[in-house]
Amino acid sequence: MDPYGQEWMNAEHSMGTSIMAVAFDGGVVMGADSRTTTGAYIANRVSDKITPMTDKIYCCRSGSAADTQIISDYVRYYLSMHDIELGEDPDVDTAAKLFRELCYHNKGQLMAGIIVAGWDKHKGGQVFTIPLGGALVQQPFAIGGSGSSYIYGYCDSNFKEGMTKEECMEFVKNALSLAMARDGSSGGVVRLVVIDKDGSERKFFPGNKLPEFWMG
Amino acid sequence: MTSSGNAPGGFSFDNVIRNSMLQQKGYAPPTARKTGTTIAGVVFSGGVVLGADTRATSGPTVFEKNCQKIHYIADSIMCCGAGTAADTDATTQLISSQLALHSLATRRAPRVATALNMLKQMLFRYQGHISAALVLGGVDFHGPHLYTVYPHGSTDRLPYVTMGSGSLAAMAVFESKYKEDMTADEAKQLVYEGISAGIFNDLGSGGNVDLCIITKEGKELIRGYAKENERKYRRPAGYIFPHGATPVIAGSEQFKGPEKGFSVVAEVAPAQDTMDVSA
Amino acid sequence: MASIGTGYDLSSTTFSPDGRVFQVEYAAKAVENSGTCVGLRCTDGVVLAVEKAVISKMLVQGTLRRSHIVARHATLTVCGLISDGRVIVDHARAEAEQYKDFYGRPIPGHVLADRIAHFVHVYTLHWHVRPFGCAVLLGVADVDGPQLYLIEPSGLSYRYYACAFGKAKAAARTELEKLKLNGSDGKALISCDEGVKELAKILVKVHDESKDKDTELEMITVTDGKDGGAKLVPRKVVEEAHAAAKAFLEADDMED
Repeated sequence: MDPYGQEWMNAEHSMGTSIMAVAFDGGVVMGADSRTTTGAYIANRVSDKITPMTDKIYCCRSGSAADTQIISDYVRYYLSMHDIELGEDPDVDTAAKLFRELCYHNKGQLMAGIIVAGWDKHKGGQVFTIPLGGALVQQPFAIGGSGSSYIYGYCDSNFKEGMTKEECMEFVKNALSLAMARDGSSGGVVRLVVIDKDGSERKFFPGNKLPEFWMG
Repeated sequence: MTSSGNAPGGFSFDNVIRNSMLQQKGYAPPTARKTGTTIAGVVFSGGVVLGADTRATSGPTVFEKNCQKIHYIADSIMCCGAGTAADTDATTQLISSQLALHSLATRRAPRVATALNMLKQMLFRYQGHISAALVLGGVDFHGPHLYTVYPHGSTDRLPYVTMGSGSLAAMAVFESKYKEDMTADEAKQLVYEGISAGIFNDLGSGGNVDLCIITKEGKELIRGYAKENERKYRRPAGYIFPHGATPVIAGSEQFKGPEKGFSVVAEVAPAQDTMDVSA
Repeated sequence: MASIGTGYDLSSTTFSPDGRVFQVEYAAKAVENSGTCVGLRCTDGVVLAVEKAVISKMLVQGTLRRSHIVARHATLTVCGLISDGRVIVDHARAEAEQYKDFYGRPIPGHVLADRIAHFVHVYTLHWHVRPFGCAVLLGVADVDGPQLYLIEPSGLSYRYYACAFGKAKAAARTELEKLKLNGSDGKALISCDEGVKELAKILVKVHDESKDKDTELEMITVTDGKDGGAKLVPRKVVEEAHAAAKAFLEADDMED
């Protein structure tokens, strides 16, 4: 059928992924692995799946790379128009609503699981998830992507109400490292973004500097 | 009416559902010419180097041994194409023309990110039906840029990229030899080695290595930078065959097509005896 | 005008030689003929009030409404042609609803005012439509606090602490200016409950007895807080305020 093994031609460029976000008092910590695959081939081992929407709102993308990139482009456009009309930074729930709108109304054609998080002056740090069907749920923390199934238990047992920024960063880093170790479609490096009232800050942890757990 | 009747241009997918039904029932449509391909690009200090092989295939046949897969987008932006040759050609030409108009309207030199956005939005709109996998590179106001674009419309920005059926071979070379802040010559050598690996290790790739070096100062497209499959020996005398060298089927002057049931075929003397090989 | 020449006032798509659009200015005249409208930004919301001439003894009270609820946090009164106002109300409601549906939060006051102004302005640009024969007062109470806007037939919009339009606008503005509206910090001093009474007094005072004999007041408030929202002021409350205002002014006249 396909004498040259042109799997990349047909296979959609997708992100078997581990993504997560945690809200703390005054902001959010977002994290993601960096693996993008086409079939069994790693098309990008250092992808950036944490995408800025505004200065203080980011989203973590999982699912089809093409779909989530285009959705993000649209939401970024809508938010910038909204920003101009409003004359102030858009709220996180507004951004999440826009994602939900696009994901729900085009659900038959999209493969996108998105976590929206950020800080606004009305409600502080907030985390929202928009799973495949286009629901919109606010949570104190959220995990997503294929790797998340491996760390539900870890997250439920280690999440504590009222963690500091540093504790949240540690929590995200550990959880993602565990997910990447068990999920074949997740891997590479861990990227973190910390958002608070002053803006955002990025952190980068290469694959050989990740916390190790039981390795057998 | 369907859109094909009065559409001014672009692609029509009117027959997609019909064709998939026919295919299911065993009437496969003729396949489009797909370029089994190796294309690649590398960013170096001050510019980008793009590379491509030159083989176009049609099924198992090499259809064209020296085609150009590095397409023009703008004076300092070029785009390597893998996938269906017709699609990569049409897509890059369309974006090139739109970008030229945009550049005239805004009175600014075109930017790589603009070309990237136009490409990804077009490919996304066609939901992967346009088989164009691209390596987009160039230099603009913000410096050198290198991107990959997949047929579904996703994009990546990386310091070194490969695409096409030979991408694995080329990436193996890049992963082992890429360095940051290379010179133009080092980058050329690296891209050459990557494409060469594709040509030698991937069935779909072959022919020559084309390179394109883009810097702030300008662009240099080198067709046939290396001719990996050049014919090494050609018989100086050539080949001349005298009349009667071709075997003739007896009685062919009356031959009116095969008769039902049987036909009689007789052979004349072996051709070798009369072939002149001395001259 | 006659010195400028004639024929320049037939369409809003024709400028006069000195750069005016007469059709839009005529539309503003329709506003001046309207029953007086007053609006007041208060501590806890916005009060809008209008005076309506009772055109027939047989007219059921409360018909020919000039105040409308646009959204939970927005009210609007029409000053000028009532039916033109309804078109603006319909559009304002659609804008508010669409905004909430899209962004998931109530439309901010200045955005709503801008969008209504834009809608009204479009009617001054095309030959096949005429400008709106009304101005609208817009009261909003949201996270940014109470706000009062005015949108003119020309498509201009203003934000006010208090304003008056219609027949007795000049007298009513003088009365509004006499009120102590703001503290030194720019914050409002009068509550909505007091505002209802003050506006009733103003409308009674500026009322021209020689023109309209029998009048009726109509009031609408929008307040913030948990039990807030846009509400027509109940008939009983309006009538009480109306009667109290009349009594107050009669007493005032006696003193003079």
